[in-house]
Amino acid sequence: MSQTAAQPNRLAQGGQVDRTQALTFTFNGHSYTGHPGDTLASALLANGVDLVNRSFKYSRPRGIVAAGAEEPNAVVQLGATEATQVPNVRATQQALYDGLVASSTNGWPDVQRDIMRWVGKLGSPFMPPGFYYKTFMAPASMWMTYEKYIRKTAGLGRSPTQPDPDIYDHMHRHCDLLVVGAGPAGLSAALTAARAGARVILCDEQETMGGSLLDTRETLDDRPAAHWLQATLAALAEYDNVTLLPRTTAHGYHDHHFVTLHERRTEHLGDSAPSRAGHRQSRSRLHRVRAGQVVLATGAHERPLVYANNDVPGNLLAGAVSTYIRRYGVVPGRKLVLSTSNDHAYRAALDWQEAGREVAAIVDARTAPEGDLVAQAKAAGIRVITGSAVIEAKGAQRVSSARVAAIDVDAFTVTGKVETLECDTIASSGGYSPVIHLASHTGARPVWSDDIIGFVPTTVAGVTAAGGAHGVYPLGEVLADGVEAGANAVTALGFATTVNDADLPRVAPRHEGPACALFQVPHEKATLRAPKQFVDLQNDVTAAAIEVATLEGFESIEHVKRYTAMGFGTDQGKLGNINGMAVAARCLGQSIPETGTTVFRPNYTPVTFGAVVGRHCRELFDPERYTPMQAWHVAQGAEFEDVGQWKRPWYYPRKRAGGELETMAEAVARECRAVREGVGILDASTLGKIDIQGPDAREFLGRIYTNKWQKLAPGRVRYGLMCGDDGMVMDDGTTSCLAENHFLMTTTTGNAAPVLEWLELWHQTEWPELDVYFTSVTDHWATMTVTGPEARKLLTDMTDIDLDREAFKFMDWREGHVAGVPARVFRISFTGELAFEINVQAHYAMHVWEALFERGKHFDLTPYGTETMHVLRAEKGFIIVGQDTDGSVTPEDLGMHWAIGYDKPFPWIGKRALTRSDTRRENRKQLVGLRPKDPSVVLEEGAQIVFDPNHAIPMPMVGHVTSSYYSPTLESGFALAVVKGGHQRMGESVYLPMADGRIHEADIVGTQFVDPQGERQHV
Amino acid sequence: MSNTVHVYDARADHATVTAESPLAYSFQRSGMPAPGEASGEESRAVIGERAFLGHLILRGGAIVLDEALREVLGIGLPGRPNSLTVDADGQRSVQWLSPDEWLLIVPGDETFGLETRLRAHLGGSHVAIVDVSAGQTLIELSGEAAHEVLMKSTVYDVDPHAFTVGKGVTTLFAKTSVILRRPDESRWELIVRRSFADYVYRWLLDAGAEYGIGVVREDRHESQ
Repeated sequence: MSQTAAQPNRLAQGGQVDRTQALTFTFNGHSYTGHPGDTLASALLANGVDLVNRSFKYSRPRGIVAAGAEEPNAVVQLGATEATQVPNVRATQQALYDGLVASSTNGWPDVQRDIMRWVGKLGSPFMPPGFYYKTFMAPASMWMTYEKYIRKTAGLGRSPTQPDPDIYDHMHRHCDLLVVGAGPAGLSAALTAARAGARVILCDEQETMGGSLLDTRETLDDRPAAHWLQATLAALAEYDNVTLLPRTTAHGYHDHHFVTLHERRTEHLGDSAPSRAGHRQSRSRLHRVRAGQVVLATGAHERPLVYANNDVPGNLLAGAVSTYIRRYGVVPGRKLVLSTSNDHAYRAALDWQEAGREVAAIVDARTAPEGDLVAQAKAAGIRVITGSAVIEAKGAQRVSSARVAAIDVDAFTVTGKVETLECDTIASSGGYSPVIHLASHTGARPVWSDDIIGFVPTTVAGVTAAGGAHGVYPLGEVLADGVEAGANAVTALGFATTVNDADLPRVAPRHEGPACALFQVPHEKATLRAPKQFVDLQNDVTAAAIEVATLEGFESIEHVKRYTAMGFGTDQGKLGNINGMAVAARCLGQSIPETGTTVFRPNYTPVTFGAVVGRHCRELFDPERYTPMQAWHVAQGAEFEDVGQWKRPWYYPRKRAGGELETMAEAVARECRAVREGVGILDASTLGKIDIQGPDAREFLGRIYTNKWQKLAPGRVRYGLMCGDDGMVMDDGTTSCLAENHFLMTTTTGNAAPVLEWLELWHQTEWPELDVYFTSVTDHWATMTVTGPEARKLLTDMTDIDLDREAFKFMDWREGHVAGVPARVFRISFTGELAFEINVQAHYAMHVWEALFERGKHFDLTPYGTETMHVLRAEKGFIIVGQDTDGSVTPEDLGMHWAIGYDKPFPWIGKRALTRSDTRRENRKQLVGLRPKDPSVVLEEGAQIVFDPNHAIPMPMVGHVTSSYYSPTLESGFALAVVKGGHQRMGESVYLPMADGRIHEADIVGTQFVDPQGERQHV
Repeated sequence: MSNTVHVYDARADHATVTAESPLAYSFQRSGMPAPGEASGEESRAVIGERAFLGHLILRGGAIVLDEALREVLGIGLPGRPNSLTVDADGQRSVQWLSPDEWLLIVPGDETFGLETRLRAHLGGSHVAIVDVSAGQTLIELSGEAAHEVLMKSTVYDVDPHAFTVGKGVTTLFAKTSVILRRPDESRWELIVRRSFADYVYRWLLDAGAEYGIGVVREDRHESQ
């Protein structure tokens, strides 16, 4: 068929396309035209494009088979630019737009001259099921190489290599009733529920709502079904309580009627979402729906018959033929042979003939078909061959003829002489399979129905299937079934419904004769020797492959599926699964229900990752928590460190004389010296803060912390250690006694929320009798630590608090004003220097901070970040929970016996665990200091420690470095580490073998490197 | 005043001290598109910060707290979970947060006086009253698309028929949590933790972009 003539297969009239407008698109580099209302598939068929892909495994030429989501072959790569590439698009579901660019997914180097075809032809006898498993297993190291090549030839589509220009978003929806599918059943269900006042969402995956009404030959109220469809959609749109979502696929059914819907909002408009009224609009949207009840009105997919060479382009589903003719005004060929097992498919031949093209014959597997459509076909002069089937298609790039013969369905044999009918199109129908995927996602196993020759869904409570989705096919019954499903669903939710049959449109009665159960058509040759009879076109699974699988001992249908790849991937067995089960059942000599079905999994059709991610990407990927001084830190050019979700200043590089920025080491050294010699300031607002009130607050603290709290007087502060019930350190911090029944606890930055939950857990579940309440005040109080020998001088003129060392001692707190702002000031130190921690309401933090710097000009007040904080605290041996501890370290391991109150009257959390033999043993890893022999060495954090570097490998590893820095004060590297029995090994040498072969030597020393007597913080 | 708890007025004199609201930095960094500015058409969603209000967390038994509130503030605790009570002029509200926890929001300069009077009234009852005014802020959201902005942000059912006036919940908002409430027909309120406020603000601007979201400045609120 010529591809130069303009749309050779487009009918002059009919269908729902707008012939007054031409849309230009490109497929595999060729330019074509179509019309608004077309899908890419209908436009390709209109242009006579037979070949749309190469098959996955055998590289056979493939054409369009279906008209909807079940299309296995026309899976294309979409996108005019690199950034807008979209893989795995079904041409049957992609609306045509002007400028659309698509190409075949499979077929390398190109679809017309596919070198793999020869491999397929020559190699196919050597490509049995399990071919890849068997061939490419060894050597295992080569698999990645094989896979790369196989993927390229198989072509599963590709992701764009450039950033996506579009945005995607989510919308959370709640409704009483979600109706999936806007065909006759879904529409009548939605309308019934809407009238009852229920909140209804009606979604449909197609460009236009209507389902089978869009191409039916039947009438409603004696008029074309389109009239009723338009009226019903208009009526639904009037309801405030109804949300209509066209172009929206329900792709996953999750627990508790949580259903995810993928709405393609702009994919019918262009490659990239056009902006609307100056705003970016999302290209697609994921609706996360929580429904009270769900009606699945997903219809049915037609099953093709499995006959030899049934994959040659020109083999189509009978229903798809009708859809292309009636909905798109496209006849996908010149001369048709229809092979069917049922009445319904006859409409394809009638539609074909009415479109002015020739029907060679209808080949019906039944010996005496008798329905109204059969009579119509005969009356129209169409030749009907009964008791027969198309057993083989002939043709290479397009069907050239059909081989037809009488068959015995039950005996699975060809019984008559073969007649060859010239044709270019073979339509087939082996009956209909309810679309049970969503019901299957809920875990409900479908059951076989002999009545409809298909699996019907079972459903969990709250889910109802309606219409074709559970095998109800006659239009009148479908409409009534939808009404009933909708009414039952909302009645279950307490809505009153009035179902009135008179509301339903009148459907002309039509008699359909019984169908016969035909899946694989027998061939003169045995299945293993006959030309390929495809079951799963997308995954290139043949009836022979399934037979081989059963011969090799695979009996479970789940194993057959995995061995042959049937129903894999994006296809999810829409077209082939039932035929495959039927073939397996025949080979195993059992019934289809005995064989069972595989499980359909989400997603029903592919969902772009962008829609899954939504707006949770880039700058909105995760919350960034800021302190009230964030603007100042940014203005100062601070480098930031992530601590949980907080952004904390890491260090503040200054410009050196030459204008370059300091390195991190230089900045940290400068900041450390400032604190040790002058005065520095830290934004410590991220520390967790918990306000504790109640008469039993003190008792509660005694049970939560390892140390004693009974004698802590108002105005005083104490360091506390918190253990899990396993006796391992889980958090630390200072807690201040604000008043007799009032405490302020601080936690580490990362543990603020877990510690509050920990307190609530123990209070609510173990000690509800204690009168105490906990409230997070982390964000309410901003905290700034002014520390260094000059700290007191700096603050003296800024506060009404008496800063005298006797009046305001180390570990005291005082209330007063700083820079005119009410404040609590705590004399606690995490640097070992004189330090004042100032707490003010966060609203005034910047005011106080800037006032401190104004005054601090005279003292070269130096802001320091978390890195300097780490160096300074490590020099003092102050631990950081989560760095120097890892959930396996007890307070005693840390040498903090002084913080354990074994004699407290009530057994605090962790006490019991600290008396276990394992926590008492001698040789536990204990926290020590390490001083490298070479002062220029900064040990690697995490480096393993050994006692004997000459020991044969593997050397016994006795510990590791937990914190390590260079100390400008010591002019040496130093570290904290855990070492087996370390507390008894002071002065001994240990060795740290590095990956590069060097071995560092270090001395075990105490953990306090600077001011071991702790005098400086008391000054 | 009982000396068993340490209560003091930590609010500074706003005449002499520069106070910064939790969103001050966000307004500076991400901007404040005025309503109607983005597209020239009317904004279908409008947000604004109600800064410097007094936020108090009350914990204790419902009966004693209810009695004290009625006496001191003239409104009682909401009778049901997930709801709030608003006083006649709409300036003071009490919201249920958990079975023994309520959020009281009042004009900022009333905060300390209210806490003092409540404590005096409650005497020796075991309760906790904690000032968290600077730890969170209140964002108002209004406009015909307000609930659509929320649908893009929270899993909670915000259909105006389901989330009726007087309801208030603590729920997930994007990747953080907020207190979400509907004090009257025309607006929603989001109460956001200070350190997360910038994230919430940026999320709202993004989610509201398709509705031409605008930001009203505080002074307009106070003149309302």
